[in-house]
Amino acid sequence: MTEVSTNFKDCIQDQIHSGDDTDFALSPELRSSSLAILNEGIFPTRKDEEWRYTPLKDILGRKFEFISNDKLNPDLLVEHKKVVPDAQHIVFINGEYSAEFSDDLTQQANAGLAIKLMTDLDPTDRQKAENIIQNSKLSDNSIFQHIALGLSQSGLFIDATNDTEIAKPLHLLFLSSTAGSTSFSNPVNIIHIGQNSSLKIVEQFVSAQDAQAVTIPADYIHLNKGSSLDFYKLGLESEGTDHISNTAVELSESAELNMHQYLLGSRLTRSNSEITFVEPGAQAKLCGIFLGNKSQHLDIRTYMDHAQPNCTSDQSFRGIMNDRSRGVFNGMVLVREHAQNTDAHQSNKNLLLSRDARIDTKPQLEIFADDVKCTHGATIGELDEDALFYLQSRGISKVDAALMLTHAFASEITQEIQIDSLREYVQHKIANRLRHIQTTNA
Amino acid sequence: MLSIKNLHVSIEGKPILRGLNLEVKPGEIHAIMGPNGSGKSTLAHVLSGREGYQIDSGSAIYKNLNLLEMAPEIRAREGIFLAFQYPIEIPGVNNTSFLKKALNEIRKHRGEEELDAIDFLSLIKKQMKLVEMNEDLLRRPVNQGFSGGEKKRNEILQMAVLNPELAILDETDSGLDIDALRIVASGVNKLRTESNAYVVITHYQRLLDHIIPDFVHVLSKGQIIKSGTKELALELEERGYDWLLEKSESPS
Repeated sequence: MTEVSTNFKDCIQDQIHSGDDTDFALSPELRSSSLAILNEGIFPTRKDEEWRYTPLKDILGRKFEFISNDKLNPDLLVEHKKVVPDAQHIVFINGEYSAEFSDDLTQQANAGLAIKLMTDLDPTDRQKAENIIQNSKLSDNSIFQHIALGLSQSGLFIDATNDTEIAKPLHLLFLSSTAGSTSFSNPVNIIHIGQNSSLKIVEQFVSAQDAQAVTIPADYIHLNKGSSLDFYKLGLESEGTDHISNTAVELSESAELNMHQYLLGSRLTRSNSEITFVEPGAQAKLCGIFLGNKSQHLDIRTYMDHAQPNCTSDQSFRGIMNDRSRGVFNGMVLVREHAQNTDAHQSNKNLLLSRDARIDTKPQLEIFADDVKCTHGATIGELDEDALFYLQSRGISKVDAALMLTHAFASEITQEIQIDSLREYVQHKIANRLRHIQTTNA
Repeated sequence: MLSIKNLHVSIEGKPILRGLNLEVKPGEIHAIMGPNGSGKSTLAHVLSGREGYQIDSGSAIYKNLNLLEMAPEIRAREGIFLAFQYPIEIPGVNNTSFLKKALNEIRKHRGEEELDAIDFLSLIKKQMKLVEMNEDLLRRPVNQGFSGGEKKRNEILQMAVLNPELAILDETDSGLDIDALRIVASGVNKLRTESNAYVVITHYQRLLDHIIPDFVHVLSKGQIIKSGTKELALELEERGYDWLLEKSESPS
């Protein structure tokens, strides 16, 4: 254990001893093992290989509290909802579900899709939901997952029935709104997609200006046979936010996952995504952009577990680091012994826009099967001088040329976003960040 | 229009241009020929402002401006265009939006109004006919996946759209088959006016069958060792460079 301020740990301890069982998202049985881990209170240090490049000193020095919905300018939400206008919108404020700002859950906006609060589940649903968590064994079993499991008082159970194409995307907005004290939110969402059904989810993490927050969400997702999920995660929180998330996805036979992550916000972002092929013949496509500014720290971890044969995975992540920002890409592709005919690819390309920026990339491939097709690679570079000169020689300023090239680097990922308004929004946000980068450096 | 006097340029301490002189007037086409390593491409790069070259002495005055002190984009906006020997592929940057941006930067610099999408499109479609280029290529990223000939045609298309006063063609004929060569050359000939000038750098005489130069210069070891008219190019084609090189290396 490291020498750190005990503020954060004290707050965790306080939470363990507050509230009745009924206040929590998960059942006491499920929570008990997480609480045991929380009671031990051991946080990862830089000696832990999975946390080697991400110091936790700052976050462990923070004090936080649960802060209920406070007065909020509704215009803020109107703006955010426009990102996916034709969606079912569900809003969390400071970690708490907001009925006021969400579309009515009882009015099924989508036929075949049931959305329930984790605190309101009947025993059948609870069993179904908690089974998904129990089956997910994260390789990064750090305490943060248990902060969500053991202490969460909010979250959704999203259950898509069989044989249904859910047309309207689900837009989950997580907003932190407090400027004075630090709010804490740790929603747990469980997503179950029935056989041959398809669903699109956009998770957007945002802040009111200057909000101070610690966000530790967790998602547990199960795709049944022949189902598909398009899952977009947008990290756009304030500089006063630390964000540590875990996402676990299980894919059954012939299921298909398309997962995008656009991580541009927060002081600290740690995003861990673990995909497990639990049956043969499934496909997972993971991609994303992480863009750091000032002294932001962005840590992207992926764990692709090819536990079954005939599955395909494709990962493409791009980092853009500016100023004194720091990026980490830590991607594991594990091909187990009987996972024959696996097709797995992973690529991480990084662009350093400043001398003080840094990226640590660790692509890993462990193969125990013999009939597989696997590739991985990582690059770290600066903008291509030849391309810069080519653009300049046509009359485009060096700053504009750098912007065009950086934007192009990102757009090779963002162009894959299938929801038009979302794609435009993400590209616009990235361009804005880059414009900021250029003016701060000029 | 362009006056280069006693220009000495080195790369990492190694002299490449060693006292080069060249005068270009509006309406003229100058061909620069010479063996490999004579400094032809260095001259093209230095005129367009590429980094990595040390200017040791001499001057290059373009339209009364000290060219060597100007940023590459300012040179371009002032009317200098380099057709690259090896055009750069730029993934993710759309060919059309790139060219529109470039043209509008140049127009802004000239105090002209920027073109909107519709006017730009009609301009580019007109100029594409000049180089017989497929419209598909406009929708692709800059030069990405283009064949060698398509890249060179794209250079001439850019030239046609940006309408430079001084165009430098750096071995535009290299890697072109005879049809592509004819298309590129006829594009250049159609763009030729009394007020613009060309510096055509080439290894071979064959391009000069199509683009008729007013002057031919032979560059060797960083100096122009002989200048003449188009007949000089024909003579070089017949006799090679050796007779000239021997002559220039006077016994010490």
